Amino acid sequence: MSYFIDLVVVGLSLGMVYALVALGISLIYSGLDVVHFAHGEIYMFGAVIGLFLYDEFHLPFPLVLLGSMILTGLLGVFIERVFYRRILRTGGGYTVAGLGMVICGFGMSIVLQNVAYLIWGPKARPFPVTFGMPVELGNITLPAAYVWIVLAALVLMAALHIFLKKTRLGLAVRAVAGNKEIAYLMGINVPLTISVIFGVACALGAAAGVLVAPINYVQVLMGTGVLIKAFAAAVIGGFGSLPGAVLGGLLVGVTESLGAGYLSGSYKDIYAFILLIFVLMVRPAGVFGVLVKVKA
Amino acid sequence: MLTTTDVVGGYGSVQILNGVSLKVVRGQIVALLGGNGTGKSTMLKVLSGLIKPWRGSIVFDGERIDGMRPDRIVRRGLVQVTQGKEAYPAMTVEENLLLGAHVCTDRAARARGLARAYEYFPILKERRRQLSGTLSGGQLQMLCIGRGLMSEPKMMLLDEPSAALAPQLVLDIFRTIGRICRDGMTLLMVEQNVRMALLLAEYGYVIKDGVIHLEGPAEKMINDDAVRLSYLGGTVAGRDEKMAL
Repeated sequence: MSYFIDLVVVGLSLGMVYALVALGISLIYSGLDVVHFAHGEIYMFGAVIGLFLYDEFHLPFPLVLLGSMILTGLLGVFIERVFYRRILRTGGGYTVAGLGMVICGFGMSIVLQNVAYLIWGPKARPFPVTFGMPVELGNITLPAAYVWIVLAALVLMAALHIFLKKTRLGLAVRAVAGNKEIAYLMGINVPLTISVIFGVACALGAAAGVLVAPINYVQVLMGTGVLIKAFAAAVIGGFGSLPGAVLGGLLVGVTESLGAGYLSGSYKDIYAFILLIFVLMVRPAGVFGVLVKVKA
Repeated sequence: MLTTTDVVGGYGSVQILNGVSLKVVRGQIVALLGGNGTGKSTMLKVLSGLIKPWRGSIVFDGERIDGMRPDRIVRRGLVQVTQGKEAYPAMTVEENLLLGAHVCTDRAARARGLARAYEYFPILKERRRQLSGTLSGGQLQMLCIGRGLMSEPKMMLLDEPSAALAPQLVLDIFRTIGRICRDGMTLLMVEQNVRMALLLAEYGYVIKDGVIHLEGPAEKMINDDAVRLSYLGGTVAGRDEKMAL
């Protein structure tokens, strides 16, 4: 029994990582109507920048997390302003330019991988932060890193929720996600708000990267696998739904952990997709999704 | 307050406005009338900045606003009130209203706006925690007018406030619009309900094929044979409705 609980807890903490990445993907999708395929590399950059801050400045872990989120968020804003926005100038807005944006996302993913490769090389590097003694929860002991992941992710999700529900800018973000023309008529600076959406989404991806780094290695290719699983998580929860992204992430994490523990660890990557296929058979729009997304 | 001169514009390469000149005096209600596909909605989009005019000038409150981004136009005090169906259904009534006050960073101004919207439309206060998707058509229209008032604009552009409403509701909404005007607002109203619009407005423009086809004081237009034949179905304007307003 305690083995089962162990697996669930580990699964939940990894699920939080997927959930953070999926939240970013869903946020960009609901705001811009495009799927951002370079988000795995944003996650990788988060981890790499975090490691850089830790190595060079010996900052405490919470500051590393915060610093990496801010820097990666700015990187995201830069990418959106300089590259993605140009595609939109060809006309049609975000929805029509969608396919071009998807291709551009793939391209950006390759570019970012190679930039990281040129700067930091191909070697996997450890993130040697120590969190102190393992935490005792009843009859199971858990490395403190997992507790950190869960707590930090919960704080970030709560912050995102408050931002979207209670602040003036958060309301503007939701308005732009709902309908850009009407958002304009409300006096909202739509291009700026889109940059904010992009920055916040990238900051969340970076947080996932920094949080996972101490239990994994930091390496250039770490983003690809996570992107696909976060993508599965977003689809399971209902694409574009933020609560769905969190639920999907947790489901993927737990499924993967249980599968690896009871069936076989070497097929670890398959379980998320078996879950995905199963959910899509039962509920094609995902758990919280609506089949046709009506945008007035 | 608002003067447009020879505004030409359209979507893509399709020209819809062929030179529209109109004028709205401060404190007046002006009606912009016309059937489907005559260019009145396009004109509204040009005024609010959603599409850029190809030629011509728009001067609002002494400043050129043609080609300006919509959010900047809102900041200058010219706000478009959307049709009721364009409220955000997944947001509460109060969130929709607060969105209208996006340009006010000052907390007190936002609270003042809410109080004002609730004063004109008490039903919104009752429903303020409900999702606006659950409101009726009339309530949605009230919500959108209230939302337009939130940033304390100098002038509002109304996009068919009577669209898809029952006659009694139209009367209620128009009565409130009249009150808003008497309280110091300038209004340009795009309408299909020609009779009601002319009863409420001081001046009217009829747009046809992208140009101003007819114009004049509303009193005169409503008795004008040409207007009556083409837009009022040949009936005489109702005195009762005038009284009700």
